[in-house]
Amino acid sequence: MSRRYDSRTTIFSPEGRLFQVEYAMEAISHAGACVGVLSKDGVVLAAEKRITSKLLDPGHKLEKMYQLDDHIICAVAGITADANTLIQYLRLSAQQYSYAYQEPIPVEQLVTDLCDLKQGYTQYGGLRPFGVSFLYAGYDEHFGFQLYQSDPSGNYGGWKATSIGAKHNQAQSILKQEYKKDISLKEALELTVKVMSKTLDNTTLKPERLEFMVLKKKADGSVGMVALTPDQIGDLLKATEVDKKEED
Amino acid sequence: GEAMSIQTYNGAAIIAMSGQECVAIASDLRFGVQNQTLACDHKKVYRMHDRLYMGLSGLATDAQTLYKRFVFKHNLYRLREERDMRPQTFASMVSATLYEKRFGPYFVEPVIAGLDPEEGHAPFIAGMDSLGAMETAKDFMCAGTNSESLLGVCETFYRPGLGPEELFEVISQCMLSGVDRDALAGWGAVVYVISKDQCIARTLKGRMD
Repeated sequence: MSRRYDSRTTIFSPEGRLFQVEYAMEAISHAGACVGVLSKDGVVLAAEKRITSKLLDPGHKLEKMYQLDDHIICAVAGITADANTLIQYLRLSAQQYSYAYQEPIPVEQLVTDLCDLKQGYTQYGGLRPFGVSFLYAGYDEHFGFQLYQSDPSGNYGGWKATSIGAKHNQAQSILKQEYKKDISLKEALELTVKVMSKTLDNTTLKPERLEFMVLKKKADGSVGMVALTPDQIGDLLKATEVDKKEED
Repeated sequence: GEAMSIQTYNGAAIIAMSGQECVAIASDLRFGVQNQTLACDHKKVYRMHDRLYMGLSGLATDAQTLYKRFVFKHNLYRLREERDMRPQTFASMVSATLYEKRFGPYFVEPVIAGLDPEEGHAPFIAGMDSLGAMETAKDFMCAGTNSESLLGVCETFYRPGLGPEELFEVISQCMLSGVDRDALAGWGAVVYVISKDQCIARTLKGRMD
């Protein structure tokens, strides 16, 4: 019966649902998982790569993580092509703000800019929504380190720890149990690895299948992002495995 | 004072020189409105990235706006391409940006100096007029309210193959002598010497008139 109401994105169903938005979120729940954890001295983002073929040659580019500006990074889950468009939009938005105000864009403002765009696609134009959810990790002088999540509806929230993509419910419940207040960056990294290892199959938990980006204060005092190398990820996994064995 | 042309409203002196695996770029420090000097700490050389600097002579407000626009464009370039812009690429972009305003131009004359990461950090120097007509040079490039004087001293003192320290001495002497013949430029100078591993900025004390 509700089928009649999902061919157009911009109308409600009789039960008050926006089916296209829900279908978009369904698409994302099949995408590679992303986890974000906020700590007092930085933010960690981790993602599971979905490598579809050995023949794929990604070069140096990361598949799921992108830098948006000097002080903001993000991880994506969902339709890659949609994500690429939105990343371009986010980068442009950040630069337009910097140009106008000669200041780095406050993190929440960048999130809001994109969410306003995403919301437009649920109300105007008859175009389908973007099939992407984002995790944003950023720093500004007003609110320090922050972590946000947005979805195809254009809704967003600030989080201490969260996850999107496949098995995000499981990841979320582990985070809920294990996250503690005033967690340090090192502990946040360990927690992220723990969550990834518990929600992904152990067979797929190799450094090549994971991506990690950290936003933190660098040695010179400025804030910047660090993308972990496969070796560093390997070390991180080994360290957590050791802990895991001790727990068992 | 009497009406001045828009190109001489603020006053500037810029020199870029190339040396042995290094480049130097210098500007005067005067900021004035026609005959009134208002500041002596107004640099006209801007850093785009560690190995690319740009000097902008001409109308100060246009120079400031253009610099901000180029930061905008270079930031987006760097995010997309995951590398800094080569000097020649940047120069082409500056040229195109200026030509976009062909019938209502920015009143600036840029001078670009940098080291090319793809050609073993080879020195690169270029200059253009306010419409974006670009010229590259192997030796030096000048711009400003009295660019003819600057060209004269550079022609006299320049020789190829100078190391960073010698290049600094030569470009400094050229700048200090050159601005002494220009009422609208001077009041000190700043010199950047850019090598593969570092960039050294030095401030020169000059005649404050």
